[in-house]
Amino acid sequence: MGKWGWLLAIYLFLGGIGAGAYLSSFAAEKGLIGDASSLKKTGYYISAPAVAIGALLLVFDLGQGLRKPWLILGMFANVSSVMTWGIYILSAFILVGLVQAYFVWKDTKAPAILTYAGAVLAVGTMAYTGLLLSVVKAVPFWHTNIMPVLFIISALSTGLSATSLLAHFLEKGEVKEGRVCQTHLGLVSSEIIVLTIFFGLIFSGSLGPMAVLSAQKLFYGSLAVAFWVVLVSLGLVGPFILYAKNAYNQRKYVSLAVSPVEALNLAKKEQAATGTQAKTAICICDGAVMVGGLALRCVILFAALPVWNTTLS
Amino acid sequence: MSKVNSLLSRRAVLKAGALVAGAFALGLPATRIVRAEGSSPTGSNATVGKQLGFRYDQGKCIGCRRCEAACQIQYKWEKGVKWRKVLKKQIKNSKINESVNNFIYLSMSCNHCAEPACVSVCPVGAYQKRAKDGIVVQDPTKCVGCGYCVVACPYHAPQYGEGSGTVSKCSFCAKLQDNGQKPVCVAACPVKALTFGDLAELKKTSGTVAQVNGLPSPELTKPSLVIIPKESK
Repeated sequence: MGKWGWLLAIYLFLGGIGAGAYLSSFAAEKGLIGDASSLKKTGYYISAPAVAIGALLLVFDLGQGLRKPWLILGMFANVSSVMTWGIYILSAFILVGLVQAYFVWKDTKAPAILTYAGAVLAVGTMAYTGLLLSVVKAVPFWHTNIMPVLFIISALSTGLSATSLLAHFLEKGEVKEGRVCQTHLGLVSSEIIVLTIFFGLIFSGSLGPMAVLSAQKLFYGSLAVAFWVVLVSLGLVGPFILYAKNAYNQRKYVSLAVSPVEALNLAKKEQAATGTQAKTAICICDGAVMVGGLALRCVILFAALPVWNTTLS
Repeated sequence: MSKVNSLLSRRAVLKAGALVAGAFALGLPATRIVRAEGSSPTGSNATVGKQLGFRYDQGKCIGCRRCEAACQIQYKWEKGVKWRKVLKKQIKNSKINESVNNFIYLSMSCNHCAEPACVSVCPVGAYQKRAKDGIVVQDPTKCVGCGYCVVACPYHAPQYGEGSGTVSKCSFCAKLQDNGQKPVCVAACPVKALTFGDLAELKKTSGTVAQVNGLPSPELTKPSLVIIPKESK
């Protein structure tokens, strides 16, 4: 689609990762994904930098980014533009994310309002990356409310992966991952379901003929390798199998236990038994989820066809 | 005022929905956002003031491209940018064999839509829909070159110039029109295939349509273009 290419894909990807990482640590802190104390900090650390790097890439992508950068200030001007909403949301999120990370780094309790504001802005950031595309009526492949839902799920998934992967290296000592595998299994499954609904909708014809052509580029056209190999196999089905296997194993140990303490001991035994091999597998899996997330944004951008291609029929 | 209110409610809806229900719940507020987006804040101007539009007669057009050339000379398009294009298509089952009639043409520029996508997507507000005549003017000095209008316009009217790093498009010769002159493309047409005027009047011309030859649905942006299709075949 014209000048919207790689940089925009990476920008949408990093925006999603940053927001998803914030929410991963937020969820860990609030105990929403079990006792995942290993993840309580890392996500906060990477949230603002990831989004900021993405925003910086956008600056390079702008025709005037390096020529008249002061014009960027004008991007706060049009409140009817989704891109302007994004500028507000991202600016606020980067600020809040930085302050939150500072509190976490200093090991002091951040004001609850700040932490919650960050969570709301994170959801806004994730939604924005999808809405930016879904409001474009001139590109039928994008013009569906599924787009923001898909981008939110993928952002949560890639953010959680980035957080787990980095926590693995940053957090020394005992790894406490709580229900990360179950959560991730849910996210990857949701993404598969939403993608299936999306393509079902397209091939039913309800998004018009150009959307069908776009989808065909993914299914057996120029983007088929990126779609089937990188996104579907590496980014979704592979991780689904591994997370499902791990979640099943963990559930087995939890159900055997009569008390939480015993459950913990069993889980420790299980972790000790599977050892570094399983951890390596999870790390590779997290990497694959992120590669898949980038592929998702790339194929959605690159497959887009305009509703009219300036030829007469 | 309703613009401000609706924006606030959009955000409120977004935030509330997001926190409570998480990822899946967002499908619902997104619907509202997209619908609110459809009711463009500038749409009201078009109904209040006059809306100027182009009328293009496919039967009269001889494909000489003088409209294109006049515009290019007047506005010195930068490389890779075309404010007006004459599209051409060979008619297959034509019974008429004279070469001049074997093609159909369509001369198109910006359609100065009633619900212009460029106006609503442009983050810097470089686009303005003039209240007095509905002309959509763009200020290239504000343009950051994000390309959002380029993907959002179904007619590919906003054009990105690699050289300048900015977008530009047809202004309907707004400045010339302010001085009582005609748009240069209209003035250049030797057969009066391309004319302009009050859209409401133009629509009264018999046999006009808003969509021919695979053009996008006029419902997307409500273009100010009426076409008299060629009675071919």
